[in-house]
This record gives sequence, C-alpha cells and structure tokens, in this order.
Amino acid sequence: MSYLIGLMLIVIAFLWQVTLEGFQRKVTAKVQRRVGPRWYQTFMDIFKAFSKSSISHGFIYDFGAMMTLGGTMATVVFLPFSGIVAFNGLDNFFVIIYLLAVGSLGMAMSAVGSGNPWASIGVMRALTQMVGYEVPFMIVVFGMIFGYGTSSISALVEVQAGGFLNWHLLRMPLGAIVGFISLMGMLAKKPYDTPIAPAEIASGPLVEYGGKHLGMLMLQHEFAVFIEVGLFVNLFLGGGGIVAYLIKYAAVYLFATIISAVLGRFKIEQVVYHFYKVPLALSLIQAAVVIFTGLGVEIWL
Amino acid sequence: MAMNNDFNEINLNDGDLNDTITFWDKLKNVFRGNSLWMLHYCTGCGAVELPPTMTSRFDMERIGMGPMATPRQADVLLITGYLSVKTLRRVIYTYEQMMEPKYVVGFGSCTLNGGIYYDSYATINKLDYYLPVDLYIAGCMPRPEAVMNGFKKLMDMIKKGEATGWKKYQRHYEDYYSPNQIRSLGEVYVKDEFHE
Amino acid sequence: MTINSLIAQGMISSLLVYLLTKLNKKLGAFLTVLFSGYLLFVIFGFQNSAGEVFSLIHFGEFELTFMTSHYAWYFAIVLTLTYFLVSFFNPYWMKKMVNPAAYNMLFMVSMVGTVGVFYAKDFLTLFIFYEIVVWSSLFIIPMGKSRKTPVIYYTISSIGSFAMLYAIFYLYHSVGSFDIQAVSEAMSQAPNTYRFVFFTMIVAGLTKLGIFPFHTWLPAAHGSAPHTFSPVLSGGLVKVGGFIALITATVIPSFKILAGDLQLMGVPFENYLIMLLGAVSIVVGTLMAIKQEDAKKLIAYSTVSNSGYIIIGLMLNDQVGFAGGMMHVFNHAMASGAMFLSFAAIAYRTGTTKMSELGGLIKRMPLTFAAYLIAIISLAGIPPMSGFASKWLIFQGLASNGMMFIALAAFFGSIGSFLYVFRPLSAAFLGQLSPKHKDVKEVPWMMQIPLIIMSFLTIFYGIFPGRILAYISKIQESVGLKGVEIEGTKIIAATGMWDSLVITLVFGGGFMLAAILFFISPKAKPVDQMNTYTSGEFIYDPDHYHYAKNYYATFENNYGNKKRVELFFDAVALRVKEFGEMVKTMFFAKSVSFSIFWIMLFFTLVYFWGDKV
Repeated sequence: MSYLIGLMLIVIAFLWQVTLEGFQRKVTAKVQRRVGPRWYQTFMDIFKAFSKSSISHGFIYDFGAMMTLGGTMATVVFLPFSGIVAFNGLDNFFVIIYLLAVGSLGMAMSAVGSGNPWASIGVMRALTQMVGYEVPFMIVVFGMIFGYGTSSISALVEVQAGGFLNWHLLRMPLGAIVGFISLMGMLAKKPYDTPIAPAEIASGPLVEYGGKHLGMLMLQHEFAVFIEVGLFVNLFLGGGGIVAYLIKYAAVYLFATIISAVLGRFKIEQVVYHFYKVPLALSLIQAAVVIFTGLGVEIWL
Repeated sequence: MAMNNDFNEINLNDGDLNDTITFWDKLKNVFRGNSLWMLHYCTGCGAVELPPTMTSRFDMERIGMGPMATPRQADVLLITGYLSVKTLRRVIYTYEQMMEPKYVVGFGSCTLNGGIYYDSYATINKLDYYLPVDLYIAGCMPRPEAVMNGFKKLMDMIKKGEATGWKKYQRHYEDYYSPNQIRSLGEVYVKDEFHE
Repeated sequence: MTINSLIAQGMISSLLVYLLTKLNKKLGAFLTVLFSGYLLFVIFGFQNSAGEVFSLIHFGEFELTFMTSHYAWYFAIVLTLTYFLVSFFNPYWMKKMVNPAAYNMLFMVSMVGTVGVFYAKDFLTLFIFYEIVVWSSLFIIPMGKSRKTPVIYYTISSIGSFAMLYAIFYLYHSVGSFDIQAVSEAMSQAPNTYRFVFFTMIVAGLTKLGIFPFHTWLPAAHGSAPHTFSPVLSGGLVKVGGFIALITATVIPSFKILAGDLQLMGVPFENYLIMLLGAVSIVVGTLMAIKQEDAKKLIAYSTVSNSGYIIIGLMLNDQVGFAGGMMHVFNHAMASGAMFLSFAAIAYRTGTTKMSELGGLIKRMPLTFAAYLIAIISLAGIPPMSGFASKWLIFQGLASNGMMFIALAAFFGSIGSFLYVFRPLSAAFLGQLSPKHKDVKEVPWMMQIPLIIMSFLTIFYGIFPGRILAYISKIQESVGLKGVEIEGTKIIAATGMWDSLVITLVFGGGFMLAAILFFISPKAKPVDQMNTYTSGEFIYDPDHYHYAKNYYATFENNYGNKKRVELFFDAVALRVKEFGEMVKTMFFAKSVSFSIFWIMLFFTLVYFWGDKV
C-alpha cells in the first residue's frame, strides 16, 4: 500500500511540477515582456527528448543517468505531500536531504563519465554551490529539530497547524529568509545558476546529454524542484490540504521565478562567499534564538 | 576552391523518406514539431538577427523554440550566413554530433549560392553540397519576421514528416556528402596546438 | 583459546614470518594473510565473552593482564578485519619493498599490539602495547616514499605517549593501582583528580586520531607510507586513538564523575571542549582534503575529518550519538580502507597516485572503481550505504542536545565530503583515459578479494545497520549508557527514526523505474571517449583534455593557501633548534672566548656573592 501511495506521489509530482514549469516559463516571459510558451511546452520538450536518438559514453554514463532519476524519485516518495506520507514516521529530514544527494551524485558521475571537461567544471561548480546553500539551510532546520524534538517533516508540519500565525515563516522569519535564499540556490535559479551557465560552460553537467539521457535529466530536475519547493512549503508555510499546499507551492515557486527573471549570474566564488556571509550568519542567529531563548517555539503569541 | 561543376549531381530525393506511417511516428512528429531547440551556432552576419528573434520583440519561445548551448541537446542547426572553408569543417563536426532527427536551416543568399561572396576563394557557395538543408530562409539578411515565418514552416514540415534531411544525409553520405566535403576541405591533417 | 596465548602466538608468528620471508618473499607474505586470518578467526570467538581475565607476565607486584569486554571485541574485530583484508595486498608488494622481511614482521607485530591495547585490563598493559603499535608502525612508514615523515609521526606520537604515561603514573600515585576498573571506581569520588587525568590522557587519543591541532602527522605519514600500509594506518591504527578516548571518557564514566561541573549543552564542559576540537578538525580536514593533488593525502585529510565525527560521537556519551560514533569507527575503517586499497591497486598498475596523471581508469579497472564508488558513498553518508547510519545517529545526537556550533561543523564536513570524495572519482576513474594507461589491466584476483569484501560489508550494514547497532547497544549497556533503540530494521532516536530496509527498497524501486524508462527508449549508440562537444574544435590529446588539476581552484581561493598549524609547528621547531644552537655555541663551542667568558662570569658571581655574605 505504501509503495502504491509512493507511486501515486511520483505521478502527481510529475504532472503538477511539469505543468507548473510551463507556467513558470510563462511568468518569466511576462516579466521580460514576452508572450512565452504554451503551458504544456515542458511536456512536449520531455517527450521529444525521449523520442530522439542518443549516444552513450560508456557504462557509467548510462548508470549515472538511471541512478540520478531513481534516487530523486525515491526521495519524492519520502516527502510529505499535503499530509500524505507514504511511509509513516520515516519522512526524516536528514533522510530526504541525503537521499536527494544520491541524485546529485549520480548526475555528477554520469556527467564526468562523458569525458567532457565542461561537464567536470559544471559538476565542480554544482558541488561547490551545494556546500554554500546546504549548510545554512540545515542549521535553520537543526534549530527547529531541537525546538520540537523531532526531525520528522510531517511532525514539523503539524506543529504549524491552526492558521497562518503559526507558520514558521512568522515564527522564525530569519530562518524563512535563509530557507528561501537556500531554495533559490537549490533550484539553481539566477543568480545561482552558475553550475549550468549555458553561455560560459555550455550548460555544464548537461553538455553531453541528448535524447533519452537528456529526457531523464530533465525529469530528474523536475522531481528535484518538487522536493526542494515542497521542503520549503512544509517547513515554513505549514503544508496544508491539497489545494492549500498546491497554492502555496505555486506561490513560492513563482516568487522565486520572478526574482530570478530580472537577475544576472554570480561567479562561483561569489556564490560561496555570499552564502557564507549573509545566510549563514542569519541562520546561526535564528538557531541561537530558538535554542537559547525558545522564541518561536515555546514562546509564541 | 572547388567549382560548382566539380560536384557530382545525383538525385537525392530518390525513394520515399517519409516515415510518418504508424500512429507512434505521427505522435513523435507532433512532439518534435512543437519543441524545436536550435543550436546557437553563429556564422556570418545572420547572427545579429537572432537576438531580436529570441527576445521580447518577436519571442521565439512562444512557438516552443529556445537556444541551446550544445549540439547534443539541439534539434536544428542554423547556418546564419556565409561559411568559410575553415568554419565548414567545424559545422560538419558539430552537425554530426547532433542527435537524430536533426534539421538544418540556411539563412540568406550566402548559403544558397554564395551571395556577395560568390567568387571568394575562402567561402563555399552552396551549403546543400555538404549538409542536407531542410529549409532556406531568403533575404540578405532575413528579417526576424521572415526567420519566425521560416521556423513556423519548418515545424509544419516536421509535423507532416517532410523534413527528412537527416535521412538523406545517412543514405547519401558515402556517395554524395562525403566526397563533396573531402573535395572542398582536402585531406584532414592532425594539426592543433598540441601537435606541432 | 585465551587472549594471552593468542598474543604470544602472534608474537611468535611474527618472528616466523620474518625468517620465512628471508627464505622466500612470497611465502612470508602469504603467511601474513594466513596468520592475520587466524587471529581474526580466534578474536571472533570472543564475541560474547566479557569479564574473563588472562594474565600474561608477572614481575614483582606488577603484572600484564588482559580482560575481555564488548567494547574491546568491537574495536579488535574492526582492526583485525582491516589488517586481514589489507594483508591480501602484501604478496604483490614484496618486490617493491626495501626490506620485505622487516615489513611483514612489523605488520604482524602491530596487529598483535592493537589486540593487546584493546584487551588490556590495566593501564600499564595498555601503555606497553600502545608503544608496540607506535614503534612498529614507525618503522614501516619510512619504507614508503619519504624518510622524513616518521619524524613528524614520532614527534606527535610522543606528545601523546608522554601525556598518557604521565597520566598513568599520576593515577597510580593517587589511586595506587593501574587497573582500569579500580581507577574508574576510585575516580567517582575524586572529580578534581580525574579532570586533570581526562585532559592529559585524552591527548594520546587525540594525537592518534589526528584531531586538530595534532592532525599534521596523518597526511604526512599516510601520504608517504607504503601503499599497503596506508589503509591500515587510516582504517585501523587511527581507531586506537578512538579507543583511548573511549576509555578516558566513557569506560571511566566522565559524564557521571563530572556531573557536578559546568554543563554546556547537556555535557560537561570538558567533553564539550574535546568536541569543539573535533569540530575544528572536521572543518580543517575537509578544507585541506579539498585542495590535495595526491589521492593518498586527500584520503588522509578525510581521515582527519572523520576522526572528528568519531570523537564527537564518543564524547556525546548518550544513547544515540555515542552509538553513531562507535558505528562510525567501523564504517570509516571499511570506507577509508577501501579507498586506500583501490588507490594502492591503481598505484600497483600505473605507478602513481597523483590524480592529475590518471584518468578514465573505469574502462580498465571496473572492479576497483566499483569498490571506490561504494566506499565514497558510505564516507559521504549517502543512504543505501552504512556511512549514513552513523552520520544520522551523530546528527540526531547533536540535534537533541542543540549543539549548533558543532552541528555547523558536522554539516559542513558532511556536505564538504561530497567535494573531496568526488575528486579522485572524477580525476582518476572518470574522464579521459590517458594513452599511456591504455594497456592497464584490472588487479589480480587476490587483490580483488578485500575490495569485494569491504564493498559487501558496506552495503550489507547499510541495509541492516541494526546488526551492528545491536552489538553497540550491548556495549552501551556495559558502560552504563542506555542502549540504542532498534525495532527490526527501524532505528529509533528521540528525535525521529528511519528504516534502512525501506529506504533501500524504495531506492531500488526508483532505480528500476528509471531503468525501465531507459530501456524502453531508443537504444543509445556508443561513441568514442574523445567524441565530445568541443565547440567544434578538433582535439586529439586526451591528456590535455582531462580536467583534473586544481579541481576546486575557485573554492580554494575563498579560504586562502596557508597551512597555519604547520607554520606554528615549524616555528616551534625552529625555536627549539635555535635554542639548541645557542646552548651548543655557549657551552660546547670550540673557541676559547666562551670558556674565558664563563670563567670570568663564575668568578664575578663568586666575588659578588662573597661580598654580600
């Protein structure tokens, strides 16, 4: 039963996120005063990629592509979706973060396995950026875990029940800011799209992908976005019923899109420097406030 | 420089290359026709017409097109103007790295007959000798409206299964494209900064 | 079989190995495999034994005695397993060794020495066997690349040894016994004595673990030791330091004795200080590992970082974090052992461990690649492998205590480990195969055995970490802690739980789904390794087309290029040397002038002294 729910979650994630990706492109276009693609354009792109021929650079190139998609789909199963938890109690924060890393590792391996130095440079940038955004995000959630004594995401959603005043967005405003900046980094949206910079390093890790490999990587990207935005919605906006969850999800994702639509791109050392300057300091302040004063957890309204 | 009459003329359109027979083929062609990624490979002066085509004024993304950085991801190769012999080698290499089905669009008169460079010692005159061109966009240079119109036409061709240049290239590589390429480029010697 | 006769047998076998290696190099090396396997087999039989006492030697009122216990068995089995697996590499390296007989003998002696350390009943035995381990490894290290590094190793080891010796004598002075149990009971009434002993004794553990600021010997020694001994040093001998930390902080129950002291985030401040050192060494190890060009030095710095996790886990002394630290001992032994061994395999075939000279070896050495891949997934703490279990437990332990600064280091080290473990994978195994390594072959079957076993154990205990944790919970109960809670394949902490089997199954399901998608799509056409997108440029030289040098140059620029601790140690060494020079010139100079100066000074002092009186 749990496995069927998991499969259903994967299907929902695919339909919803790919649809929203079309809208996201439309919103970017509107910000830039364009008309933008049709809403189902991303479906077309993915199906087209699978219909094309492809090349293989060897075993690890294929294996990595399967590993990255498999690992990311497995992570979708563990993320609570509007109160639906496939495996009760196993939606642990650290499990989700590290299972998501399986996907990143598979992609990195596959990309470097192609033998293209641009892929290596892109992977180097992606890993460096990961060091930047993960640490502040984990510190904020660390404070939450200490505050409520649980690292299960659905339990962290439950404590925010009962109106928007209980959301962590208001209880832990600094943490929410850090979470959002880290989310932008995770999504690799501008100004943090350094790893896939198409004009500098020919789209980085993706440089050698074509046909079905590219299709799988696009799918993996959509699932990863579903997880990352879902984490933010669950942790800071209190999850909610299906409709509420999807609305919050769309709002967060489109907000990130609007910001990224007007920005340029950081250099990679600027990304790390930036993440370790402001968000890390804010996250430490937030964690200290939660751990030492209890403000936002025990002391709230 | 090889002259036009040096090339062997054969009928490239022999046999039926249209494979849109089964339902799945038709479906695939619908996807391919609605999502066309171009390789942002610019030669000659036509490149300057592409930024307006991509950005706010004409917005290429509305018909499902977008620029791609690598030939592996791209579906359509744009030859935007004259091709020097030196560039031709790179274009052929790039074309061969693209995934099938792949399409070639020639911009302007330079790709048709050499244009104003028709008597240059360094440029080729007719692109079709070397690569299978699916569609030419006339003009010197074509305005973005014409470019958009051309892309629309290409998409219709793909949906109908008429854009079969990549099959022509497969079928006639040995007897047409390869000899032509060698005739213009000469033998290829390994010579780059690491081999001196 | 008893421990004392086992140790005697081990010592005799080492002599036997020495003599037989003199006769025939290969035979002696195969005997190390045999004897270490025998030792492993016998030790395995002590799994459930606790409290049995064996006496080795009496002299006067002192005696060397051993006592079995659960924690001793755990450490002993990890170490003997590492030694046994590494010994499979020995026969192939005999030709390259300067003195194979001595190598084989010292290999066995250090193995027996570690068993003696773990089963020691009293501090005297512990110290003697600790010194045996240090000295035997000291003479193996110069058999590798460099003859200077043992000096660094010896200097830092002697800091630890002398500190421990001082602490042991101080304990004997105040308690009147060397016995660990007796000391532990006596200390519960004397927290002030213990506080001093805690800091002096744990220095030995810190030096051996390579905790900041004593981490400098690890890259020096591991990087230049013989390729077959580096895995033992990193996977095995470093854990001896972990054992001494365990004895100091947990077997002598620091959390009970120091309960009256200032408590920082739920632990006594003494433990917290050591944890902070662990946190610093995680960060330093990670940052330094990222910038290494040599794969062995990189793995050595990763050992510094992982030792930080072990010490943090052990110092937590609680239900969850302690179990994580203990399990990390095993995970790190397997993972870093497999990493070092796979680079030993590469060095065996290509003769180098410099990452920029390698590349594309997956096509030639697929099994070595697979072993390395599994090891790094475990070391980076990614779910289906065993490394995740220990890191998860340590994170939960930190989270339930709210130690945010240590968690910052732990998270940084964990994410940073993706960077440094990926670099050898990318630079040595993936990318462009260099033409000079075209004819490289996979290693011989006997060298494949340890790689396969290590990979299997890493995967098996990744799916069933409960098997190890059940034993660790026994250890925890034997030292007076609450055992870690396991329910089937579920591991339960106060702040959440996870199920290793479900994760593996879901990941397997996801992988199957992706594989189905992959195989129903049109088949991919294999292409040559140089057929990549090069902006249409023609490139013919794989060596120049391989991205391996200065991999993380942009990231390194952010934290500069200075080795601050090394600079400090160098400055200290310079001062000591200058002081020695000064003494030499003043007292032992050949010139007459100094002698005249001293005589005059003497008479002047006598004159003034006499004047006063």
